[in-house]
Amino acid sequence: MEGGCCGTTPRRSVSDYLDRGLRRNRAGLRAVRGVVCRDRNDLSAHFSGDLVADTIRSIGFKVSPCATLLAYCEMLAELATGRSPTAAWNLTAADLAASLPEVPPPKRDRAILAVAALHSLLLHADQLAIAGETP
Amino acid sequence: MKVAYIFATQRHNVSYVLAKMILPQLEEGRHGAEVIGMFFFEDNNFVLVDGNPIGARLVKVAQEKNILLMGCDQCCYEREIADRLFAGVPIGCFPDLYKALSGNPPDQVITL
Repeated sequence: MEGGCCGTTPRRSVSDYLDRGLRRNRAGLRAVRGVVCRDRNDLSAHFSGDLVADTIRSIGFKVSPCATLLAYCEMLAELATGRSPTAAWNLTAADLAASLPEVPPPKRDRAILAVAALHSLLLHADQLAIAGETP
Repeated sequence: MKVAYIFATQRHNVSYVLAKMILPQLEEGRHGAEVIGMFFFEDNNFVLVDGNPIGARLVKVAQEKNILLMGCDQCCYEREIADRLFAGVPIGCFPDLYKALSGNPPDQVITL
């Protein structure tokens, strides 16, 4: 997670997650990839990551340019990094929605798409770990 | 003629052009064009915050005349007002605006 300005604690608003999410969205995908997930709004999310010793070392994603979706995905990426795939699996759309209450209810379904994309990555990561292919 | 207004600049547009020209004309039914929608960028979104007196008049006339009001989502998030808008006023971006207007598209889009 990036630090705030002049060493201050990073903010936790939608806008701040969006700023960091836009940068992550441009940074490209990582080694282990889930599938591209889509929702009824024709938004998509594709998560990727690097695993070391059953720990998620980094997360990348490529998602549709929707401010709310980007913010949720960035929040998920920051929360999942440093956790095991099992622990990251327990992050829920309800957690995201509760953490960013300023998102209007009609936009909160983006959290479901974000979590689905993360779960897809975790399923693939788990397969790699079982096969002994984790770096 | 059907028009949509996009409030994109932040000079004197909401307090003057909207509040003292467009809004009174809409309230009196003599604007001269059928307004389909209004979209707000940047600080113009503050007019949509619940309790704003100009916004209250705008929401009332919008409900009466079926005018779409929409705030820019990124602008509202950045100003931390996305959850403080008048009830029923959505936030969104261009895809949301185009989709909302697609059933009754304007003849002209006027950027103010």
